[in-house]
Amino acid sequence: MSKLQPVLFNIGWNACINCGACVAICPQEAGFVSPFDTIAVDRPCDIACLLCEQICPVETITHVPVERLNGSAVAVDR
Amino acid sequence: MPQTDYDLIIIGAGPAGSTTARFAATAGLKVLMVDKRQELGAPIQCSGAISGHGLASAGIDADPEFIHEAIYGFAIYDEHGNRKVHDYRQLKADEYGPQAGKKPLGYVVDRRRFDRYLMTQAERAGVDVWLKTEGLGYRPQEDGTCTVSLRRYNEAIHLRTRVIVGADGLQSQVGKWAGLQTHIKITELAGCLQFIVDGVETEGLLEIVTGHEWAPGGYAWVFPKGHGYAEIGLGVIATMTDKPARWHLDKFIKRSFFRDRFANCRILEVQGGGVPLAAPLRTQYADNMILVGDAARHVNPITGGGLHTAISGGKIAADFLVGHLGDGLPVQGGALEAYQLAWLAELGDKMWKLYGIKTDIFHNMNIGERDRLLYATMSDYFSPTSEFKKI
Ligand SMILES: Cc1cc2nc3c(=O)[nH]c(=O)nc-3n(C[C@H](O)[C@H](O)[C@H](O)COP(=O)(O)OP(=O)(O)OC[C@H]3O[C@@H](n4cnc5c(N)ncnc54)[C@H](O)[C@@H]3O)c2cc1C
Ligand code: SF4
Repeated sequence: MSKLQPVLFNIGWNACINCGACVAICPQEAGFVSPFDTIAVDRPCDIACLLCEQICPVETITHVPVERLNGSAVAVDR
Repeated sequence: MPQTDYDLIIIGAGPAGSTTARFAATAGLKVLMVDKRQELGAPIQCSGAISGHGLASAGIDADPEFIHEAIYGFAIYDEHGNRKVHDYRQLKADEYGPQAGKKPLGYVVDRRRFDRYLMTQAERAGVDVWLKTEGLGYRPQEDGTCTVSLRRYNEAIHLRTRVIVGADGLQSQVGKWAGLQTHIKITELAGCLQFIVDGVETEGLLEIVTGHEWAPGGYAWVFPKGHGYAEIGLGVIATMTDKPARWHLDKFIKRSFFRDRFANCRILEVQGGGVPLAAPLRTQYADNMILVGDAARHVNPITGGGLHTAISGGKIAADFLVGHLGDGLPVQGGALEAYQLAWLAELGDKMWKLYGIKTDIFHNMNIGERDRLLYATMSDYFSPTSEFKKI
């Protein structure tokens, strides 16, 4: 797995068809999901393999890099 | 055995969960099945093709409640549009056909209605079903049972059971709870998109279009959907293209040898999903836990079909659990490996063989050769002489 900087995913809900492919490919431990059956968007992903972005049939997942400050994530580069 | 609330708690009420639940309850086990959805099968992530003998394998009648259209055969296309047709109305005319006394080869089902129908059959067999109930985790206990954590309309609920069945589909979390290796490779999960359309004629056949040009790593399809509707879809492997499935589907509709046929199509529904063209999970059990259906990756690695294998696997799981729990055998310390062995013997060994064939095709780096191999394999797979007819 890549040792990239952690990222925070963003889902363009307008295009998302709720297909679940992003969750199916995600190598994170259990529970890295949103209430809408997509990958989680409320906390950073420290694996940052970005496979979810690759598999999404409608290309609607993007990310921003985040840094950890005192244990909580802060988005940078916005 | 210590007291429990249920003998089985099944997470997920798709075809695999409902079939496991129905057979287990019919044999006298006390079963709870939960699903987080408000309407089973929705949003649809499936094309709904299933063979008649697939339904029969799990004792399911072809009920008009869930059938979109009857199917009588297959047409397999190469990348140029040449096709090989296996029309069972001609190949086995005395057996298959729309006339009285004959039968369809298979069906395209409506997953919303199919899943609801299977759930209803399970409920009628005595299963408790809770919708809007999410499985959150489970923990094996020293007395040999386990506790399962659920959330039902925001309320936290903890129940004791002997075995938890993970039937929670491709996005399965149950296997992860037990620490199983469930990760699927990006080279083996097809990203799929499909449109239900009006204005496209079909002929009672499942049409499968091969060729890297149209669906790199996967294939495209045109299925009859009843009421004069059709379904056009495809799946692609992300590492074989830098474009998303949506781009490929648009290209297939506008630029393939079907462009005239699709020229007046109007889109009625948009659906998608991930289809594993992968091997079954190597380990499908843990203490107090077994996996079934997509959660165990019980999917045909050549066709991506998982309905037949989900319901056949559900029956295998239920038969095993009824015997195992009936004999008062332990469910921890590797004892549930017997389930996996039973599954391998009945279904799994065949799926591993298919996986071998599929891998040989896609490991071929020459696109022309790969296209020829896939077309030949698909054409053979659906022929009446195929050794794999049973899945
Ligand atoms: C685009 C596409 C087309 C396909 N076409 C075909 C086809 O034509 N023919 C075919 O045979 N197969 C097809 N398949 C495959 C088929 O859809 C699956 O193999 C099948 O749905 C597997 O059934 P299942 O019961 O294992 O899982 P699912 O049908 O996925 O059911 C899982 C259930 O578990 C529930 N669940 C998940 N997590 C939880 C939780 N934590 N708590 C509570 N409930 C939970 C879900 O809500 C869902 O209802 C297709 C798949 C895709 C994506
Ligand atoms: S893969 Fe894309 S379309 Fe599918 S659920 Fe995830 S974000 Fe939505």
